[in-house]
Amino acid sequence: MTKRSSRQKWQRPGVVFQPEVHLKMLEGIDQIVGAVRPTLGPFPRVVLYDRTMGDAGRVPEFLDDGGTIARRVIQIRGRDADVGAMLARNLLWSVREEVGDGTATAAVLFRSVYAEGLRYLTAGGNAMRLRHYLELGMREILTELDGMAGKVAGERQLRALATALSNHAELGRLLGEVFDVIGEYGRLEIRKGRTRAYEREYVEGMYWRGGLVSRIFITDIERQRAELQNAAILMTDLDIEDPRDLVPALSACVQAGLENVAVIARKISDAVIGMLMLNREKGKVKLNVVAMKTPGNTSTDQRAALTDMAVLVGGRALLRDAGDRLRDVRATDLGRARRVWADTLNMGIVAGQGDPRQLRQHIARLRHAYGTVTDKGDRAQLQERIGKLMGGSATLYVGGITETELDYAKEQTQRVADAMRGAMREGVLPGGGAALLACRPKLARRMAEAEEPEERAACRILMGALEAPVRALLENAGYEPGEALSEVEAAGPGYGFDVVRGEITEMASAGLQDVTTVVKTAVRHAIGGAAMALTTDVIIHRASPPDAVTT
Amino acid sequence: MSETMSNELVYALATTRDMTTWFAARGSGLYRSQDDGESWDDLYESLDLAEPLPTTSVVLSPDYDGKEHARLFAGVPGGVLRSVDGGESWFASNLDSPPPAVSALAISPNFVDDGVVLAATTEDGIFRSANHGGHWARWNFGLLDLTVFCMAISPGFSEDETLYAGVESGIFRSTNGGRAWREVDLPVGYEPVLSIGLSPGFPQDGIVFAGTESQGLLVSADYGVGWAQLGQGAVEGAVNAILVSPDFPGRPDLLVLADDVLWLSRDGGLQWTRVEDAPQGISTILAPKGLAVQSPLLVGLLSGDVVLLKLNA
Repeated sequence: MTKRSSRQKWQRPGVVFQPEVHLKMLEGIDQIVGAVRPTLGPFPRVVLYDRTMGDAGRVPEFLDDGGTIARRVIQIRGRDADVGAMLARNLLWSVREEVGDGTATAAVLFRSVYAEGLRYLTAGGNAMRLRHYLELGMREILTELDGMAGKVAGERQLRALATALSNHAELGRLLGEVFDVIGEYGRLEIRKGRTRAYEREYVEGMYWRGGLVSRIFITDIERQRAELQNAAILMTDLDIEDPRDLVPALSACVQAGLENVAVIARKISDAVIGMLMLNREKGKVKLNVVAMKTPGNTSTDQRAALTDMAVLVGGRALLRDAGDRLRDVRATDLGRARRVWADTLNMGIVAGQGDPRQLRQHIARLRHAYGTVTDKGDRAQLQERIGKLMGGSATLYVGGITETELDYAKEQTQRVADAMRGAMREGVLPGGGAALLACRPKLARRMAEAEEPEERAACRILMGALEAPVRALLENAGYEPGEALSEVEAAGPGYGFDVVRGEITEMASAGLQDVTTVVKTAVRHAIGGAAMALTTDVIIHRASPPDAVTT
Repeated sequence: MSETMSNELVYALATTRDMTTWFAARGSGLYRSQDDGESWDDLYESLDLAEPLPTTSVVLSPDYDGKEHARLFAGVPGGVLRSVDGGESWFASNLDSPPPAVSALAISPNFVDDGVVLAATTEDGIFRSANHGGHWARWNFGLLDLTVFCMAISPGFSEDETLYAGVESGIFRSTNGGRAWREVDLPVGYEPVLSIGLSPGFPQDGIVFAGTESQGLLVSADYGVGWAQLGQGAVEGAVNAILVSPDFPGRPDLLVLADDVLWLSRDGGLQWTRVEDAPQGISTILAPKGLAVQSPLLVGLLSGDVVLLKLNA
């Protein structure tokens, strides 16, 4: 009976006005932030997600990542409060998606700005003007943070950062080493290991998904792969159906005195494969040809892979869209590499002999594109392409016994790895919330000079909010925030409270650092989101709840 | 003081600190002299080779004394030869296939403890061993140009783990002992880089010299961020070797081999004097005791000879 009436209430359309809007939204925000807040700092408490739903076989999930915790909350009681909760949820997940970390910081910042802003509005303040000054203040904070950012380089610094981010000494050591080797764009694959230990390995050269077109080309039975040395490479996204299509390319190889040829094509017919094998075994001219699939699932991916490959090995990729034909191939179209290998899944190139100057220019173009595109998928793809061209990749095997433990370790490692890349690009800040605290004097000066009440209020709200992450961190570690905060303030900019050692310390030199991008993203989303939420006056409910709620 | 060994050029020279033993890497193999170049022993005799084994580089362990500590490495086509007894016997370390051509070797000043030795190749980048040459692996992360001509290792390698590689299209630097490389911003048109010299105070002063194929000599005083040209009007042609005084910059002596001419500067590269009494056809040089006046200078020649000179004022 109760269930039914609750459902009916959810489905009833309606319009909600002030003061319920703000109060109920705060109620919802408090619930999400309350769930995420315990995870802030090096002594995070875990959140247990009950996903059993009556099924004894499904174990609860242990969570200590704010973004995931927020995402697990798909509905809270009271649909007005639910609006606030979902707003906070979306905001935190955006932070998580963008930079992989910083959700707990964003949560407490957001809650503080919203709650204090609400107090000001309740006293008769102007929401639109307050929003304007909150956004101005946010820009000031971002500029201050940029000014404080320091570079992170070298294995020692990277190790310290990774350890601070993961609270895991062994993972920190390995990630520090790996990123020192592969660089910010380097290709890192994270896999579940088979033991409790964390391990890493490096793979030389570049490799792509897209292996042999047929197992018949395997020459190394033990390793189930084919390998060519000092090979010529024909690269195309065309289909090779007719054996005669390959004759010009193979003739060019023979004339150039090349014995090993890798043919990379979108599709190669059985007739062509047969011809190649026959030639290898009985041909008058010994030509060792191995046929491989063009990497990539879509034609766009294939073109990108071929473009990268052509720069790496020299030569020219023959593209369907460019109207290229196999019968027009010349020797100069073929690339060269010291070694080409392929198994049934992957193909790789070691020591491609393309022009290193063109390779640099190509990487520079990809980096530029990386800096301009905003789509997360496109950025990930560009990062992978750059990483491939840099000369190798790394694989990190995470340790654990149970599948749950391995899943958690893999996700944590991915999160730290994303943050590390951000740190290498935009630098690091004094950790433990010290950087945010150090932004307060600027706001205090601005407040002193402010003429409008909304500007003064915005500065005061932001100054209070910048304390919130440190307060949460101290409380989570079992300290009394008031006392520690006044000691930190007295120590000066860059100093913070090391909750592990229980002392005031210069955070950067103690290796306690936060990633600039992460902090800035948290600030941008939290303050921007709260400023926007404060201007909300009305909530309109639909007749039916969203699909996600009913499932 | 020289003895013609055969008509094949000397690629590299090495000596013990006290100069009692000299090594010459030549087109026909590796040779050792223990009588100031009067006679030379073929160090590959024990290998019983059917054909001469061209040797392009030779390095000695920093603790080499020829007796208890007698580790040395020779770069040959396809790999590196390692000896622990001064060249009496050899272990072959084949580098990854296809067999690369070794162009230079570099050994860590802290080799005894860290075991780091590196081999540069002309087509396959850089190989690295961290167990005294026992096992080698290709380490080309970030090395976008695999045609490597030379390497220079920081005097403070045990701390800064820094080394430079001169390649066909510029210079790369590693700050983690040769496991990853990042490009150094050399002005366009100054590549390829054939030789690199580092100041003995490099960890502090950041002074790097780069010898180019056609644009003379360059110097950087900030670890390779900015570059300026040195020796314009004098040092021209392909700069194949750069020797920096061990007391640099206190004693700012520089000796450069450009084409086959020796140029000496006593003021950090502002003024240059041609070394007039040097022989013709120089291929490599070595100054084991520094560049002060009357210091010994070993000169390897295109003819295969090794000559001992005294540096003049």
